[in-house]
Formats: sequence, C-alpha cells, structure tokens
Amino acid sequence: MVETGVISVFLSFIISVYILIASLAGGKTGRRELIKSAENGAVALFFLLTLACISLINALLTRDFSLKYVALNSSRDLSTIYTVTALWAGQAGSLLLWSWILSIYMALVVVLNRERNRGLMPFVLGVLAAVSCFFTYLIGFVESPFERLPFVPADGNGLNPILQNPYMAIHPVTLYIGYVGITVPFAFALGALISGRLGDEWIRISRAWTIFCWTFLSLGLLLGARWAYLELGWGGYWAWDPVENAAFMPWLVATAFLHSVMIQEKKGMLKKWNMALVILTFFLAIFGTFITRSGIISSVHSFAQSDIGPYFLAFIGVILLFSFGMFILRLDDLKSEDHFDSILSRESAFLFNNLIFLGAAFSVFLGTIFPILTEAIKGEKILVGPPYFNRVNVPMGLILILLMGVGPLISWRKASRQNLTRNFLYPTIFGLLTGIVLFILGIREIVALVSFGLCAFVSATVFTEFFRGVRVRSSRGENYMIALYRLISRNRRRYGGYIVHLGVVLIVIGITASSAFVTQKEATLKRGETLSIGKYTMRFDQLRRYSTPAKDGTAATLTVFNREKEIGSMVPEKNLYKYEGNREINQETEVALRSTFKDDLYVILTGVDDTGAANFRVLINPMVSWIWAGGVVLLLGAIVTMWPAGVERRAEAGARYSVGVSKDTIVKA
Amino acid sequence: MLRGRIKFIIAIAVIVVTLSYLVYGGVKEAKVYYLTVGELKEGVPSVYKDKVRVSGTVVPGSIKKDLDGSLEFKITDGEKTLDVHYKGIIPDIFKDEVEAVVEGVYTPENVFQASVLLAKCPTKYESLDRLEKGENI
Repeated sequence: MVETGVISVFLSFIISVYILIASLAGGKTGRRELIKSAENGAVALFFLLTLACISLINALLTRDFSLKYVALNSSRDLSTIYTVTALWAGQAGSLLLWSWILSIYMALVVVLNRERNRGLMPFVLGVLAAVSCFFTYLIGFVESPFERLPFVPADGNGLNPILQNPYMAIHPVTLYIGYVGITVPFAFALGALISGRLGDEWIRISRAWTIFCWTFLSLGLLLGARWAYLELGWGGYWAWDPVENAAFMPWLVATAFLHSVMIQEKKGMLKKWNMALVILTFFLAIFGTFITRSGIISSVHSFAQSDIGPYFLAFIGVILLFSFGMFILRLDDLKSEDHFDSILSRESAFLFNNLIFLGAAFSVFLGTIFPILTEAIKGEKILVGPPYFNRVNVPMGLILILLMGVGPLISWRKASRQNLTRNFLYPTIFGLLTGIVLFILGIREIVALVSFGLCAFVSATVFTEFFRGVRVRSSRGENYMIALYRLISRNRRRYGGYIVHLGVVLIVIGITASSAFVTQKEATLKRGETLSIGKYTMRFDQLRRYSTPAKDGTAATLTVFNREKEIGSMVPEKNLYKYEGNREINQETEVALRSTFKDDLYVILTGVDDTGAANFRVLINPMVSWIWAGGVVLLLGAIVTMWPAGVERRAEAGARYSVGVSKDTIVKA
Repeated sequence: MLRGRIKFIIAIAVIVVTLSYLVYGGVKEAKVYYLTVGELKEGVPSVYKDKVRVSGTVVPGSIKKDLDGSLEFKITDGEKTLDVHYKGIIPDIFKDEVEAVVEGVYTPENVFQASVLLAKCPTKYESLDRLEKGENI
C-alpha cells in the first residue's frame, strides 16, 4: 500500500505537468482534443491523490512505523479517529491534504464547466495545474509523507495530546477547504488575464467561489478560536499569533473583494482593483501556508522547521512576478466604465470599506513579518505583540462596523438628504440611545460603548430592511411568514448578505464584551474552602486521582453557587500522559467551562500539592457564546447567499444569470 | 467633478494618515526585543529597563514550582544561563530541556522577571533520535 502511495504521488506530479502543458497548448491552439485530454487529466489527478491519501491513512491505521510520518504522528494506543486525523497533524501530511483538496477543486471546476466558459477553461485549468505541480513536487520529492526510516521503531511518538480534540479534528480541514479553495478564483482571474477575456465571466465565477471559500475560512477561524479557548487553557481565544494571522490576512482581503466585486458587477468599475485583490488573496494564502509550515517566524504553534522554506519563497516570487506581469500587460483592458460621483454614495462606502480592509490586512502583515524585517534592516529581532495589533485593528474594526450599517442602504451615485434621513435617522437614534443607556448602566469603557452603539445601529438598519420588505409584500396580501420567506428566497444574495452581517454583529458584541470586561481570580484552596468571583462562589470539594491506560488524571470537583443558589459542579482536570514515547507534551490541562449567553465561568486547575490543596485560576468571560452563535448565523446567511436558485427559476436562470444576478438583487437596493 | 475628486483624495489621505499613525504608535508601544541569553547578558546594563523576549533551553533540574503558579527556572543558550522568575499560567509543554520563550524585564539583581512564558515543541529531528534510542534499548 505504501508503494501505491509513492507511485500515486509521483504520477500526480507528472500528470500535473501534463495538464499544465496540454491545457495551455490547447487553449493557445484551440485544439479541442488537447483541452479534453487535460480535463480528463484533472479527474485522474483527483483519483491518484485520493489513492495517496488512502494509502497514508492505511499506513497510519495499520501502524506502519517504518514510515517516518506514521512514526512521528501516531502510536499504538491512539484512538481510530485521531489516527485518521493524524493525516494532517504533521507537515508532509498537511501538504498532501493541500494537494488532495486542490485536486478535488480541479475536478469540480472541470465537471461544472463541461459546457460553460469554454474560452476561459484551458487557461484556468493551466493555472490550477501549475499550483498542483508545486505541491505535488513538494510531497513527491522534498517532504514525502511516504519517507521510510532507516529502522523500524517499536512504537511511534503518538499524537500531541492538545491535538486530540474534536475541534482539532475539524478545524484544520475547514480552514484548508477555504485556504486551498482560494486557488480557484485566482485561477479564473489569471485565466482571464492570460486569455484576454476580461468581461464579467471571470468575475462572476470568482465571486461565487470566493463566497464559498470565505465561508469556510470564517468557520475555520472561529473553530480555531474555540479550540484555543477550550484546549489551551489560558482563558482567551485569540492571541495574534503568526499562525492565526496567516489565516486572518487572506480572510480580510477576500472580504474586501466580496464587497468591491459588487461595484464591478453593477457599474463596471474597480476592475483593476478587483483583479489585484484576487491575486493578493491567493498570495496571502500561500504566504500563510509558508509561514505556518516553514517555521520562519517563531510562534506558539511552532511547527517543525524544515527545508520547504526556499521552495515556497521561490513559488511566491513566481506567482507575484507572473500575475502582476500579466496584470500590467492587460492594464488597458481593465479600464473602468464609470466613475465615482459623490463621496456620499454606495460606491464610496464600498471603496472605503475596501481601503480599510486592505489597511488592516497590511498592518497585520507588517506586524507578522516585523521580526524578519527588523532583523534584515537593523540586525536585531524586534517583535510587536498583541497591543500593536489591537491598537491598529480595533479602530479599523469600529469604522468597518459603521460602514457595514451605511453601505447597504445608502443610495448609488449620490445620496440625497432624503435618502439619508429615510434610511438612517432611526438607526442612528437607536445606536446613540444604546450607547447612552449602557453608559447610564455603568459601562465606562469608551471602546465598548462605541462598539455596542455601532452594533445596535447596524442591527437597526438590517431590521428596517427586513421590516420594509415584509411590509410591502404583506400589503399585497401575503401572510407575514410567507412574505419573509419569499422576500429572502427571491433575493438570496442581498438578504443572505444581511444575515451574514447580523452574524458579524453578534461576533463583534461577543468579542467586545469578553475583551473589555473579563474578571479573573486565582486562589489556593484546601478541601472545603471557597472562592468567590463576581456573583459566583465555588467550593472545593474533592480531588480525585485516576488512571487510564493513556494517562494519570487529577480531577478537582467544585460545587458552584450563583449567589446562594447551587447551580452544579465543575470538574477541571490536569492530566499527565503516562505513555510518553517522545511526546514532548506530556501534560494537559482540561478546563471546566460553564457557558451561558450572559457569561462563561472558566476554571483552570493550575496545580495541586501533596497535601491535597489545589490552585485554581477562575475567569468570568462575558458573552463569549455570542461569538460562536454569531458563527452559526454567519453560516446560515452564507448558505442563503449560495443556495442555488429554485426549480421554477432555474429555467430562466441560464440567460439571466450573467446580467441578472445584479439586476435581481442589487437594483432594488 | 474636480471638487468631488479632491474630497476623495482628502478622505483617502485621512485613512492613510490615520493608519500610519496607528501603526507607528502601535509599534512604539508594543515593540519587544527578541534576544538570546548571550545577547541579553551582553546588553547589560542598558538592557535593564527594556521589555525583552528571551529564548533558551530550560536547564534540566532547575525548575522550582510553587503551588500558586510561581515558578523559578534557568534557561541557557549553551554557554550562559539566566535565572527566570515567573508567575502565571504554565504552558502544558513546559518542562526540562524544552525551548522556552520568556518576555519581561531583566532586573539589576540579575533575575529575569517574566510576565509571559511560552514553550516550544522541540524539532522533530530530536524526536527521531529518541525513536531510534527507544529501539536500541
């Protein structure tokens, strides 16, 4: 089975090269059979890489420790589910996962475009194949997941215990689906540049794919945050770690693109800008893979250092040179068809939204590579910590929330006073009132007041929109629920977008509350002693030590009271993994969490001594659950946006889709 | 038309200037020098007031843990060693011989008062060594 894997990976590289050459040659000469053959190659590539993944999973499941990857990332006592997820626990495996997901996308793009976009397709496929060449070369010749060890260890290292968590099983895949998927809009953009077909074809497809990737990136980021919150035991969910930033940067630029693309669809403006954004997003995705996988920047994630760094740098260089070279070559074809009329218009709101998203991405980029920069320039390594990122991004974020309320409702071209009063008077009053009420209730944090006020403003604008739409429909005799359903389903992009915005508002509320109003306390307790924090009191009842085949656990049981009322018990744990192998991480803290929409009670067992006394760190994190709830709403909105048109509409969709998406959903706005 | 364009230029300039100001101020406020133990010792006495981040390997047997989470240990770059005091959350992977990163201030008493403690997983090559050793035993 291992040989099968080795051969599959090798053939994958060969086929990627073939697809690259055949599809570009086919596109250039117009020879159908070449293009067809390249497309069949993409399907073959998918089967080969699937086979490679199955081989590696098989090696993991059969504990074939003669493979370096298996020996380093699994062990005999590892449960089946985490043996499978070890596929992406290490470097070679995650590069294989990258290649495999890319091949799924390639096959999908081919299948979905059998009849459509024929002029673009050879070049799109060529670009996808070029990226595939790079990754299959890496797993074939540089970091092979099938590399043998010169000896066969009796057992493997085992999977890092902090990766043995359900979120860690799904978070990387979710993130990768988004990350890798960005290659598709990039390929369409570049395909358009190479073929010179710069009409609305590529932008429409890129937009649809970017929404898909963006959704997965967003979920991946949130799941990663939740994992850090539950598993790392420091009480927070985001630390501006280079690896987190690596996923955040493409997300920022993709978000900018999703907004400015509407300006191109609607008004034929910002064509150069959109092209640059797609290229930039892809660059950041590759750059992110590079910094997480090369170990160039010290990070708490600190993946092993390896030799793939120079390859990535070369690849990034080629991408940038080639893309922007083509871009400059086609500058004349990317002229705007319209111009900005007024600073008070939807176009401008979107333009400012873009500038700020890009500014934020730039500042995160700068902060992430700051140590490398200063070392290159001044010879000293200087890094900037979370205060830098917060100081720059919090004000940017606040302006973005403001624009999130303004953008969807301000008129195109030039907003009249009438338009502004009609759409913004009540939401503004509502936002201000929220701020004032919170101030009276005793909140004095200025950032929190502004943030909550803006969130109220945005929610009010969104609800006004839903309310107006439903009222118009119900005045024609529809019942309210049906009116709401039809309103959304007939304008999926627009109302789906609003729902996504509401999700973002919930997330922002959660972030604001939990970062501004956290309380924490630490105490060493003997049995029967209590600790009070806020309205909660906790009594330390017992310490239980237990053993499983894998670990020695220490669990502290605390009875929790909300004022006088007993509300249950919490059991934080500290575990020592017995079977160490060379798992360097042999300790694991298991936090106890009691979560409501009001606050999270977060208890960490930091230490125990021989007398049975235990040290606890307790945090009250307000409204963290809002962040996860916001994620669910965001997903819901994204699904509405992407949901394919119904059967009755599909018939007309073909003709209408190219011009009609904008007509149907934006004109009304 | 021209007036409109000037408004845009002003608006964009405001964004750019604000961003630059935020970045500049942020860097000034948050910058931390990243040194090895040797570089830190060379920097004495001027390094005493600066916030710095130092990395080194934890000296085996030097860890003294208190129940309340306060910690004393030494890190080394192979030549020089540094005494570290720390109180706070101890990372799960912190133990002898891991590479530790501490952030804080070096005091004239020659003790490093750390406010942040990070620990890094050793590189996989060491892991391989150990696998091999395990096989030989």
